[in-house]
Amino acid sequence: MNQFGTILKFELKYFFKNKTFVGITIFFVILIAAVMFFPRIISVFESDDPDEGNTPFSTPVMLVKTEDAAKEDDVKKIFESYFTDYDVRIATENIEEIQKMIIAGVAECAFVMQNDTSFTYYVNNLSIYDTNAEIASEAVSRVYQMNAMINEGISAQDAADIINFRVSGEVVSLGKSQIQNFFYTYIMIFALYMVILLYGQMVATNVATEKSSRAMELLVTSAKPTSMMFGKVLASCLAGLIQLLAIFGSAVLFYNLNRSYWGENMIIDSIFNIPASLLVYMLVFFILGFLIYAFMFGAVGSTATKLEDINTSVMPITMLFIVAFIVVMMSMTSGEVDNPAMIVCSFIPFTSPMAMFTRIAMSTVPWYEIAISIAILVGSTIGVGVISAKIYRMGVLMYGTPPTIGNLIKAALKS
Amino acid sequence: MELELLNIEKSFGDKKVLTGVSFKAEGGKACGLLGRNGAGKTTTIRILMNVFPSEGGQVLIDGKPIDYNKTKIGYLPEERGLYPKKIILDQLIYFAQLKGMSRIDAIKAIDYWLNRLGMTEHRTKRLDTLSKGNQQKIQLITALAHDPDIVILDEPFSGLDPVNAMLLKDVVKEQIAIGKIVLFSSHQMSYIEEFCDSIAIINKGVIVLHGDLRDIKRDYPRDRLVVRSQTPDAIRKDFGSVCSSTEDGGLMIHLSSPSEKQQIMTRITENYDIDEVKVFEPSLNDIFVEYAGDAPKEA
Repeated sequence: MNQFGTILKFELKYFFKNKTFVGITIFFVILIAAVMFFPRIISVFESDDPDEGNTPFSTPVMLVKTEDAAKEDDVKKIFESYFTDYDVRIATENIEEIQKMIIAGVAECAFVMQNDTSFTYYVNNLSIYDTNAEIASEAVSRVYQMNAMINEGISAQDAADIINFRVSGEVVSLGKSQIQNFFYTYIMIFALYMVILLYGQMVATNVATEKSSRAMELLVTSAKPTSMMFGKVLASCLAGLIQLLAIFGSAVLFYNLNRSYWGENMIIDSIFNIPASLLVYMLVFFILGFLIYAFMFGAVGSTATKLEDINTSVMPITMLFIVAFIVVMMSMTSGEVDNPAMIVCSFIPFTSPMAMFTRIAMSTVPWYEIAISIAILVGSTIGVGVISAKIYRMGVLMYGTPPTIGNLIKAALKS
Repeated sequence: MELELLNIEKSFGDKKVLTGVSFKAEGGKACGLLGRNGAGKTTTIRILMNVFPSEGGQVLIDGKPIDYNKTKIGYLPEERGLYPKKIILDQLIYFAQLKGMSRIDAIKAIDYWLNRLGMTEHRTKRLDTLSKGNQQKIQLITALAHDPDIVILDEPFSGLDPVNAMLLKDVVKEQIAIGKIVLFSSHQMSYIEEFCDSIAIINKGVIVLHGDLRDIKRDYPRDRLVVRSQTPDAIRKDFGSVCSSTEDGGLMIHLSSPSEKQQIMTRITENYDIDEVKVFEPSLNDIFVEYAGDAPKEA
């Protein structure tokens, strides 16, 4: 126990003295600070501007050309009411000149009306977010509908009421709303993925470095392999948790400092309103998932003679993990997180940390399924830990060609 | 204190590595563990240090099975290895703590040894900034800082310059003088002869020779004479096939039995111009080659 404590402290110190580790953490904290302070910074610049809300030069110009000069005023009014972000101007130039003006940047876009029901939209670069054509077609069709109704003898007021009639509807989600929890589940799964792969590799490299520098020769005579393995893995698990805590903690802190500037941003709001129970699940699955993979990475690291061998040795583990990640991500984006693949994955210990967590976050999972999944995961983590410690014990003193994983497990079970 | 290995058996997979390895080492004396590459020395040391269990046999301290919580062992591995990228003091403290020392005691002991080996100025440097010989001195501190009862030194002199070798010799002699059991493994026979009172030669996992070095030498059949003369050719002619040349230019006369010794010596000294004549005593090198060579002598 004493030895384990010494090793844990020494390994943890290694992380905090590691420039890359500290650098990445600080980088993320600064990045998050920048994102969180962004609206505030923007608002500072905006309030410095004396022409607030009245900046004709920054408002893009939209040209509208009608086939009939008599309709110009009506059309202009309608377009102005639909395109409030634009400076709508009536164009009298011909089409070639309008096109030149757009290319030259004098105007951003132009609508050329052929008649009451058809128009052509000209724009220089068409952005995928450009919905001007749809908006215009709605505007034009409304005007057409209104005119048609007025022509049929309905009063202008009634016609406007009919057209502007809105149905009121309410959505009540009895389970979980995927709209709300999609983003934070996404962030958490991604964090889990990054941290496990990053730290797993670190554990493997760390073990292989000790072996290739032959510090192992002395270590094995000074400490029990189980203490060494568990000390290392738990140290990296703690370091990972601390790093995540620093990053997410700073995100929460900076968000609260700037809360008023964010206003009613649904995504941000949902991210910072994660239910406490989900955070607990996150912690449970993070720790268990981290440990089961870190043990495997540690065992594999111990079988490599040279540092260069590490990349090929850890390949099967990395692949396993990436497959799990892809299944989860695809199910998440398809919106159907309770598909058969996910249900199976949520009970397999190597995929359940991500799969079960996603299901809990985005769907309603019966408590016994969660309990079974966690029980399987805990049992497997202990099993993998014990086998890994045995492989480690053999691996660290073995030099030469790395043995196959199958052989190792066989030998470990035999001993 | 007496360390005894009794009938140690070990195999890796189907390969038998150690067969009935037994030898003793006493406190206040150094024991040389000799063997060719791959003979089983490191395996023996690892079993002694409980890195892995043996399949049979026992490690005894004063006749009782060793208690690794009570008996402290210091080890200088042949494959030197510490953390190259870490601060020297940090890792020395780490290893001492792993051996059960408190941090304060560890720092005290490490300071003493850094000073003793003239390394104090390097304590806050990274290990890989040091020369090979200096790294080896740091490694030696990991073997000695926790004041072990048994000191195992595997090729301690390789890579050291003569001044550092002298320093290490003093340290080893000091450890022997204060009653430690020193187990020495080396291929440099001169060092073994200088330090070790007893030896154990291991060949292909079997102890082929074990005992007090002086006794071994004395028990060697005294059936050869070494002769130095100004007229070697005449002697060679006289003795014919039983006379051969030695590497350093002397003559070696093989006797048909040790009892002939007196008679032949008299004959040589009376008939020839002789500088020196003595009974041949084998060097440790000769003994080693004889027992651990390709056609080893049966023990």
